[in-house]
Amino acid sequence: MKKKCLILALSALLLFSFVGCGADEEAASGSTSTSSTSSTTTSSTTTAQATDEVRSYDMFIRSQYHDWIEELNWYDVAEERTGIHVNYIDGPLEIADTYTEVDQRLASRTLPDATMLRLSQAKVYGAQGAFVDLAPYIKEYAPHIQAYIDEHPDYLAYAADDQGRIFAFVRENPQLIDFMGYRADHFEEAGIDIASVKTVDDLTNAMRTLKAHFGASNPNYYPLSGRESALRFAYLFGAAAYVDENASGGIYYAHEKDNCFNIKADGAYEWIQTMKTWYDEGLINPSWVEGTNTEGDWEAQTLQGDSSLFYDYYNRAEWFMSNGGPTIDPDYDMRVMDMLVDEDGNIIQATTNTLYGTDNAIAVNASCDEETIITICQFMDYFYTEEGIELANWGVEGESFQYNEDGSRSFIVDYTTEETKPAGEKRWSFLSDRLTVCKPVDQEAFYAWNTPLIAEAASRIVQDQNMLERPVIVYTTEEEQRLSNLTAAVYNNEVAGLTSFIVGNTELNEANWDAFIAQMDRLGLAEIEQIQLTAYRRTMGLD
Amino acid sequence: MRKKDKSAADGQLMLAKRPLSQRLAKDLILNWRLYVLLLPGLISLVLFKLFPVGGMVIAFQNYSAFLGIRGSEWVGLDNFVRMFQDPYMLTLVKNTVILAILSVICVFPFPVIFSLFLNEVRFRKVKSSVQSVSFLPYFISSAVMVSIMYTILSPTSGIVNVIITKLGGTPTNFMARPEWFRPIYIFLQIWQTLGYNAVIYMAGISSINQELYEAAEVDGCGRWGKMIHVTLPGISTSVITMLIISIGNIFTVDTDRILLLYNASNAATSDVIQSYVYRIAFQSLGFPDYSYGTAVNIVKSLMAFILVIIANKLADKYAETRLF
Repeated sequence: MKKKCLILALSALLLFSFVGCGADEEAASGSTSTSSTSSTTTSSTTTAQATDEVRSYDMFIRSQYHDWIEELNWYDVAEERTGIHVNYIDGPLEIADTYTEVDQRLASRTLPDATMLRLSQAKVYGAQGAFVDLAPYIKEYAPHIQAYIDEHPDYLAYAADDQGRIFAFVRENPQLIDFMGYRADHFEEAGIDIASVKTVDDLTNAMRTLKAHFGASNPNYYPLSGRESALRFAYLFGAAAYVDENASGGIYYAHEKDNCFNIKADGAYEWIQTMKTWYDEGLINPSWVEGTNTEGDWEAQTLQGDSSLFYDYYNRAEWFMSNGGPTIDPDYDMRVMDMLVDEDGNIIQATTNTLYGTDNAIAVNASCDEETIITICQFMDYFYTEEGIELANWGVEGESFQYNEDGSRSFIVDYTTEETKPAGEKRWSFLSDRLTVCKPVDQEAFYAWNTPLIAEAASRIVQDQNMLERPVIVYTTEEEQRLSNLTAAVYNNEVAGLTSFIVGNTELNEANWDAFIAQMDRLGLAEIEQIQLTAYRRTMGLD
Repeated sequence: MRKKDKSAADGQLMLAKRPLSQRLAKDLILNWRLYVLLLPGLISLVLFKLFPVGGMVIAFQNYSAFLGIRGSEWVGLDNFVRMFQDPYMLTLVKNTVILAILSVICVFPFPVIFSLFLNEVRFRKVKSSVQSVSFLPYFISSAVMVSIMYTILSPTSGIVNVIITKLGGTPTNFMARPEWFRPIYIFLQIWQTLGYNAVIYMAGISSINQELYEAAEVDGCGRWGKMIHVTLPGISTSVITMLIISIGNIFTVDTDRILLLYNASNAATSDVIQSYVYRIAFQSLGFPDYSYGTAVNIVKSLMAFILVIIANKLADKYAETRLF
């Protein structure tokens, strides 16, 4: 009898553990559906309610973006002025995981009213009926977006499919270019006049001087350091990936600005040769070249004086100044270098991003009721009104900015005070990575919202003549699928091969270089270039 | 005694002659407690192992998360054809197989040897403490293990390079050298699974009849002799079962660990089928290709299944024991 009881108890326990697991799952999905239901209820209720009442909808978004939105003063004002509140549903921390979860939510039918996603997802699933074709709604309920589309045919070409359907609002990007930051105090101490550093050779010589000066007492000192990929100097040798009406070189797709190189360019060999010189002479951090230098490592190296130069995000120089640089060393003085020039004195143009990007688009769930779709369109439309553009780029007059006598605007809140507020605290902020709402970008405001150090550097560097042309290319779904598969093999192998040349695992000579290019072509580089060219010509209406 | 044996044998014969359903029903009534105990495991197997196998059908489709399995377009063997035409596949298969074979050859013997030696420890407290400590790394995630390795092997501050420098050598960035990727991967594998696998062998050792040891002593066997002639044969069934399972997992490298160890410098040896599938399905720059990823996995599983069958046959033929 005792045995029977024991067996029954054990079995029950094991079964309950299953039920327990199931219950958790149920609870989790239940919470989502409840939230969805409440939203639908809210939406349908709105129809019957007076217009001055707050309308709302749910939106799935990367969790970090939600945290940032919660901090933005101007965003609260936007919700107040529109009378529309967005209930953000947190996705994963990483943006790539957020896109993956969109797929999972589509499969499990738990996607809320709106979602952040890749434009390619919106186009593919939209055509299958997952998302609302926004084109007719924009025409009727979002006159300012419609006006923007009429003024920017590029937008329509990029966002719409071949039948003119728009399945997502697309984000406009600020024009970004990376800055070369340098420790002015290090240069001065080593006896280098920054004005004399004009060409790549000057830069190499300056790094040699720095290495001789600081490397003698510090074995961990390397003049140039950075994070992620070190293969970011191709543009200095005219070896950035490109597409024009005649040809395409390198992987331009999804690499318009960062990690952008063309191994078939005339200067590509010289680029790798120069990087090898930097590596062999200890002028560049070897861990960075080898791909094991994390962002934290780089920050520590740059703050602690283990490096003096970097080429990274435009406001990084300021980041080092306000995140411990002068505390560690009172002489710490990070500044931004001018654009380098070639042997003939011509500015070497750097890569920049395209005006529109596939990331962070916003689509509307096809299962939404009419009122919710209209609410979403009207909320989005506000950011295309003059008032909305001003609010999202400058904030509120008298509170965050003022009109000057000449009609221009300037911020009246201090950048450093606002941006150093603890996480979670309300602030005025207009940083590029916080542009989580699809809206037009005011380039002037974008760079004005910086410390004097960056604002001054931007006025020197962010100019059209300093940037390579980066056309927006529209790919078909099939092209995009093929490109993304080919890139998965080719890009990683290109990086591995180039790194191998630089660190000396493969001898850098003409024969090996040609064999490397041939191998990449076999893996699919030639096909990638062909697809890019075809898509470019179609986008530009050349065929 | 003989009479009793005969009647039992007759009973079994009668049972064997009845139809399967009747035998099953009778067995269910007789052993219902065991079946009740089996039920949760069976449910788990069906729900989490067998049921998802149906999802592999997406390898024959252009799968859309929105349209689902029933609504997605059928493309037949297109994904498989594409896979065999993929010029990079050969490199990936080579890297995967080398890593997997090295894992089996290098990782497999360690827990066997460890358990044999641990069994010889006289003090029970020492024995149980060592066993517990060796088991602990199994509960540490791959991310933490890899971080520890990065710290130990750091070219500037890692203990290994500090010792190398003190001895007059040149620091090496082990994590960035293609030739060091496999040893590091295997070391981590041994570190993480040694204790867990040793428990299985220790269980086998504890069930060996003590009289065999006494008989071996009478025959003049020392500790080594007993280990080789009694303990090792005593756990041979467990060893072969584990070996067959290892061969079944030959293509199943630890993707988490690979992705964490992967970098541009060691890609020549660290890019394997799983990391490639992960890039295509979950890190896609454009649109995720779940169908192609599944097709690659199906081929990988089929190859592993064939290897298991072969290993099982060989074990049956040469060691007179088999898994199924």
